[in-house]
Amino acid sequence: MWQRRAFLKSAGAGFLASLAPRQLLALEANDLVFASSIQTSAGKYGAVLMGERGDVISMIDLPDRGHDITISREAGRGVVFARQPGTFALVFDPFGNEAPQTLTSVEGRHFFGHGVFSPDGRLLYATESDFEAAQGVIGIYDATDSYRRIGEFPTYGTGPHEMLLMPDGVTFVVANGGIETHPDYGRAELNIDTMDPSVVFIDRRDGKLIGQLRLEAGLHQLSIRHMAVDVQNRVWFGCQYKGAPSETPQLIGYATMDGEIRLIELPTDTLRDLRNYVGSVAASTDGSTIAVSSPEGDLLIAIDAEQKRPVLVETLRNGCGLAADQTGFIATSGKGEMIGIAGAERPQQQFDFLFDNHMLRLG
Amino acid sequence: MRIFAAIFATFLLVAPASAQIISPSEMLRSSVTNFIRPQTKAFATRTAELSKAMYVLCENGDLTAAQEAFAKAATAYGRIEFLRVGPLMEDNRSDRILFFPDRKGIGLRQVQQLLAEADPTAATVPGLQQKSVAVQGFGALEFVLFGTGFETLTTSDGAFRCAYGAAVAKNLEEIASDIAAGWADPDGIAKRLTQPDPAYADYRTTTESLEAIVGLVSHGIEAVRDTRINPFIAKGDGKANPKLALFWRSNQTLPMLKANFDGLRRLIELSSVVTDPALAEEVTAAFARADAAFAVVTSPVEEAVTDPAQAAALNDLVIATQDLQRLIGEELSATLGLSVGFSSLDGD
Repeated sequence: MWQRRAFLKSAGAGFLASLAPRQLLALEANDLVFASSIQTSAGKYGAVLMGERGDVISMIDLPDRGHDITISREAGRGVVFARQPGTFALVFDPFGNEAPQTLTSVEGRHFFGHGVFSPDGRLLYATESDFEAAQGVIGIYDATDSYRRIGEFPTYGTGPHEMLLMPDGVTFVVANGGIETHPDYGRAELNIDTMDPSVVFIDRRDGKLIGQLRLEAGLHQLSIRHMAVDVQNRVWFGCQYKGAPSETPQLIGYATMDGEIRLIELPTDTLRDLRNYVGSVAASTDGSTIAVSSPEGDLLIAIDAEQKRPVLVETLRNGCGLAADQTGFIATSGKGEMIGIAGAERPQQQFDFLFDNHMLRLG
Repeated sequence: MRIFAAIFATFLLVAPASAQIISPSEMLRSSVTNFIRPQTKAFATRTAELSKAMYVLCENGDLTAAQEAFAKAATAYGRIEFLRVGPLMEDNRSDRILFFPDRKGIGLRQVQQLLAEADPTAATVPGLQQKSVAVQGFGALEFVLFGTGFETLTTSDGAFRCAYGAAVAKNLEEIASDIAAGWADPDGIAKRLTQPDPAYADYRTTTESLEAIVGLVSHGIEAVRDTRINPFIAKGDGKANPKLALFWRSNQTLPMLKANFDGLRRLIELSSVVTDPALAEEVTAAFARADAAFAVVTSPVEEAVTDPAQAAALNDLVIATQDLQRLIGEELSATLGLSVGFSSLDGD
């Protein structure tokens, strides 16, 4: 299933098979590796691993559309989660030595497209929907036992989307988007009038709620969906507005473990061009800059996390995927383009596949 | 006038294969002028008639006329409910007109409670507008007119029920009128959609406007399948659930579905977005498949799902939606050079 194109060309299969993990890590250190879900020109779904120059290292087939990817060096595995309301997650060996393993969501649950590993790589966590109860859960999988599902925690809200592990290694932050869906009704949104989105901090060890933050009641149709953590441990989030399209509420904000939550003020023009839709949020390598994207508005914004204001606005048609490189961000699009922004110097590249919403940098 | 309209419609049904190639701007203008404005206006007219019929019912007890007016107003909405841009999306209007699917039966519970309590604030439009969206629209009115206890509407015992129903109908009339006015406004969304400008927040280019039109159709087809057909027909487990169908009480499930298909087809045809003759033929064939299925499903939905021929026809409707989604969402988009938005429009 894996096609180690670039490696096979440059070094031959034997080279890759003989690489010890330590050498592979060294390879990563010298040459950033990125991962993304994709759609091929033939309309098939997959995930791709690529070097920082855009060279495709490997490609994997997926049974349906994937979404975000998480990777653990400790586990030696990556996981592609199905786009909501998908029922599969694919565990793969980033170096292609082992065959991938497909996880299927348990009865009464589906995936939301995001998840994380524990710092030691022994546990995998995924945002999931308990759709009968319209409640979010974090599914817990034992990476040391064939990814057996060993339990779940509540997310204390409906429609959880992205989840991250805070730098302390013991606190999850989860964006409860607030939107109820049910597989019986496809992707139809069932509770737009009564949405209740929140950002929650949850103790990874026992699933207890540490804190739940909501924006003011008038913004209850502002679905909080994607996040990134800055150098000050502020959790930056991007929202999608489900209320009247003629309204343009602010869409970018941050939350802290001290209980602060607020939206920052983007200039009217910039806000308008986000089209009430933020598709992904990423932090720079040093955590001082936050990038957000809107594939609806073809817009990318870089924000100074300390000053809390935009420092750069770029356009990229259908641009959504964002990941930090050494000096800035790479951004990818649903049109198969990859560019560098906010200090990343790289030529614009066009691929023969389309990038999904999220780009992951390994390590 | 009517004869002319009928001839015009017949012509359109056979025309797509030889459709004239028109410019994207004309496609947009035609969408608004020939479909959106007349159909939103028709919805406003039908709801005004419904409101009047409810008033008459409460005064003189003409239940049949009110039930018929309900069916006409609901199907008029069925033709435009996929127009999920502009006025329909303001002020929670789409949910207030029709809160469906209502998976947990919230609307039914709230309506029953409100009737049991004879809550007087529900019998006025301003009072009603303060309440849950689920008690404000067609779902609530269907229960009033066709649900348990509807017979009381013509007796003094049903006075509150009737007054509440009349308030719901008046509320629908107001919402429909606002939607029609929104589209009729020469400086409103119609202008922004048909004469896009980089200064607009919503439609900056002709391509974006066309993407919006094609996207409405594509998402409309998906919504019909996912929320109006699939939930109640028999699937893998072989068990149908007709009570999950919209408007099963009033036997308007199939008329509503027909109206949905009809609205989608009319917009495709009247906008002339399908310029490729081969594609037009395929689109016509997919709608013909749906028509053939509709002709078979003649029983009320509870019976239709248990009859093998009608159940198969309902499955055929699903297949028609799949064909249409491929033809409109993928092939038409590709023909027009539009982005189906791999990374967008999906709420992820």
